[in-house]
Amino acid sequence: MALYIHIPFCNKKCDYCDFVSYPLGTGCMKNYLTALIKEIDLVKQTYSNQTFSTIFIGGGTPSVLFGGFIKQLSQKIFSSFKFCKNVEFTIEVNPSSLTEEKLIEYKSAGINRISLGVQSLDDKVLKSVGRNQTKQDVLNALKLIEKHNFKNVNADVIIGLPNSSKKSVLNTIKFLIPHTTHISAYGLQIEENTPLYKNIKQGKLSPMPEDEIASTFLSVSKTLKNAGFNQYEISNFSRPKFECKHNQKYWNGSYYLGLGIAAHSYFNNKRFCNSSNFNNYLEKINANTLPIETEEVLTKQQQIEEFIMLSLRTQKGLNIAQFNKKFKQNFLQSRKNSIKNLKKLNLIDIKNNNLTIKPSKIYLSNAIILELI
Amino acid sequence: MTRQEKIRNFCIVAHIDHGKSTLADRLMETTNTVAKRDMEEQLLDSMDIERERGITIKLTPATMKYNYEGEEYTLNLIDTPGHVDFSYEVSRSLAACEGAILVVDASQGVQAQTLANVYLALDANLEIVPVINKIDLPSADIKGTKKEIEDVIGIPCDNACEISAKTGLNITSVLDAIVKYIPCPKGEENRPLKALIFDSYYDSYKGAVSMVRIFDGSVKVGDEILFMQTQKSFVVTEVGIYKPQACPTEILQAGEVGYIAASIKNVSDTKVGDTITLKNNPIEKALEGYKEATSVVFCGIFPLDGDKYQELNDALEKLKLNDASLHFTKETSLALGHGFRCGFLGLLHMEIITERLEREFGLDIITTSPSVEYKIWDNKNKEHDVTNPSEMPPMANITKMEEPVVKMEIITPKDYLGGIMDLCADRRGMYLDMQYIDANRTKLIYTMPLNEIVYDFFDKIKSLSKGYASMDYELNGYQESDLVKLDILLNGEICDALSIIVHKDKAYARGRALCEKLKMVIPRHLFEIPIQAVIGGKVIARETISAMRKDVLAKCYGGDVTRKRKLLEKQKEGKKRMRRLGSVDLPSEAFVTILKLDD
Repeated sequence: MALYIHIPFCNKKCDYCDFVSYPLGTGCMKNYLTALIKEIDLVKQTYSNQTFSTIFIGGGTPSVLFGGFIKQLSQKIFSSFKFCKNVEFTIEVNPSSLTEEKLIEYKSAGINRISLGVQSLDDKVLKSVGRNQTKQDVLNALKLIEKHNFKNVNADVIIGLPNSSKKSVLNTIKFLIPHTTHISAYGLQIEENTPLYKNIKQGKLSPMPEDEIASTFLSVSKTLKNAGFNQYEISNFSRPKFECKHNQKYWNGSYYLGLGIAAHSYFNNKRFCNSSNFNNYLEKINANTLPIETEEVLTKQQQIEEFIMLSLRTQKGLNIAQFNKKFKQNFLQSRKNSIKNLKKLNLIDIKNNNLTIKPSKIYLSNAIILELI
Repeated sequence: MTRQEKIRNFCIVAHIDHGKSTLADRLMETTNTVAKRDMEEQLLDSMDIERERGITIKLTPATMKYNYEGEEYTLNLIDTPGHVDFSYEVSRSLAACEGAILVVDASQGVQAQTLANVYLALDANLEIVPVINKIDLPSADIKGTKKEIEDVIGIPCDNACEISAKTGLNITSVLDAIVKYIPCPKGEENRPLKALIFDSYYDSYKGAVSMVRIFDGSVKVGDEILFMQTQKSFVVTEVGIYKPQACPTEILQAGEVGYIAASIKNVSDTKVGDTITLKNNPIEKALEGYKEATSVVFCGIFPLDGDKYQELNDALEKLKLNDASLHFTKETSLALGHGFRCGFLGLLHMEIITERLEREFGLDIITTSPSVEYKIWDNKNKEHDVTNPSEMPPMANITKMEEPVVKMEIITPKDYLGGIMDLCADRRGMYLDMQYIDANRTKLIYTMPLNEIVYDFFDKIKSLSKGYASMDYELNGYQESDLVKLDILLNGEICDALSIIVHKDKAYARGRALCEKLKMVIPRHLFEIPIQAVIGGKVIARETISAMRKDVLAKCYGGDVTRKRKLLEKQKEGKKRMRRLGSVDLPSEAFVTILKLDD
């Protein structure tokens, strides 16, 4: 199983972000840590038979926390759940809030993978989407990470930000290659109810044109491939053996437990999600009840849809034998026409019982998946 | 005074929007037929679509009581539809009346349908009572309107009522005039029953109900009646009048208007225009009925979801129960599967039916391009009546083609004369005559192919003349014509549902416009889609939809899975709203847009 812990704090929320996050104050940080620890106590019995192999502290911005929060939290985690050897333990950090002191704390807490929110190395681009960060912050952060000998480092890069270009994205990628083992390059999603959405609606900013995004994606994969990275999922690239094990669990349908505000879990074919309201979450925890807000038991059809949707995001693709066994269905037979069509259009490959989207067509995955679900 | 001397049967005729339905509402209000608090604007328009569009489609009669000089009179109003598509229904209500109120808008004067309808009323020997409406408008010209009625129609207007149906001004003068000027019915009470069916509808409790005007005799519950045309007989279960809701009465007698129910299962047994008499005491000769309404415009209607074929069939059957002018037969399209070829009185009728299928029956449907009925002769000298492009014989086998034409009358202020004449010429109109109505307005008469007006001619006339011109037309036989079948190929495959029959001179422009329109409405696919317009294998226009380049759910981590799945499910639903033709998904809007094609 995988364990996810959500840290819903940021110094300032970026204009494109629609995740749950609050400005950080010392008081609420303390309350939150107490609540997380209590939540662990509430759930640990349920998962006592499970072995966890990955931990991911995400956000928000976990690196805004200070004063030993992460250390205390990880001690609680390790003493409450069962873990395998060589657990992959990631924390998301943002360059402007990372300090040497914090890195030392992470190390001692057992964290062995750093995920750095770079997004872009173009100060102008960062400024236009309200991200308080400069290229210099990134350089400093990378230097510190290297100094403290973190061997597994990811950088997040967004493709399609306003004021960016294919060239600026490629420059960012090329700069990051020697400093990282993993790069997540994903397309900007313009979510409603974000300042970015408003700015675009009002014509103050314009996103990168669709066709340029498409060609940027292809150039990014080519550049990374030439540098020895493998595109093991639509928006994830890694050096050999540095795939993110935690994220792979999402795509291969493994169960995961999410703790903290707005954290999602998947267990026993049930997807459930914690309250996304700070006070509501605290109140429930303080009343010794699980802070679950929504839950959904997946129907067989939904399980099938998720299986197809998630597995086709990966390079390995969809294992037909596994599908047939899991759902007692003949995948190829029941989707004969669609598959024939997709093959004719040269969009998919079927080899060794695996159906995959052709690497050059990976950015059409949505339309391809729609044909198959 | 005898019973019949205290009855008046009348209808209201007018050009569309001249205030016919509003006047009917006021009459019912003033006679307390309907309490003011129960008034729903335009009461007689009982369908939502009628109210929304401000048009009357179905005939709905209403019986009112009115006191005049100390006597109580029964006034039977039979509303008539105002749109040109439904002029045959007008003649039906006329046959049940002795008089007609002619409503003319004082700000607009005599219009094309004023003329068309008033001539129908004169043909039926009705007494005409002119009413000048909308006199409260600043632009009202009462004197000029009266003069126009006298000059153009030849009806004296000295005693014309001057009213505002909207504000309720002078409504009693109309009621008085009805009593004073419209003759009472003069039926023979003691002769055998002679009743005319002027409309019928299906009621789920009473069965098929006939709306009737009793000319002679009487009918009551228990009588065995005979429908003279169908020769079927039934026992009467209920008779009554409309107030305007159906209210049972003991008996219907000579001169009255009401309904007869007899647990009749098939509405086709209560044929509009048929005469009802008594089985045991029949009359010898039936009343002269009506010409059956003929379909003028045809189109294919298909369920968006092929599995809904039977539901569509049931819905059409139900609509047909109350709308004898709707015709449909089974049709199979290579592209769209099983559906129906439907015949309508006109484009508005078609729009109303399709709207009702969607609204009242919740069906998602696809309608193909409207067509008219062409006559085509092949080299074996066999005549084909073609309403469906796919039935057109190969060009090489055709020896002669004819298309229906109409006689079109357009009344327009002279400022717009030039634009309208250009439009008529562009629509292959043949100029016949021009008459001056007054110093400012002109009546144009053209013959014109029907297929040139079924699409958007009415809208065009309205927009060219800022709404001031009006039109009316009647079918006027067939003329020889040079027609071609224009096919559309999507990704190399012919799509029969998009084929049209078009005049040769118009084919290139239409082909180009169709391709451009389709390019706009078809979303990008995983592959490039050529769109071609083809006549007999020759490509006359082409557009290309380039292949989709990027379509990806950017990232997908633990918290995104449910949201992403739901997004996919929504898109999958959206795809279901498309129709796959060969390899191409067409949104159902595509078919609608094609109907609204601007040349």
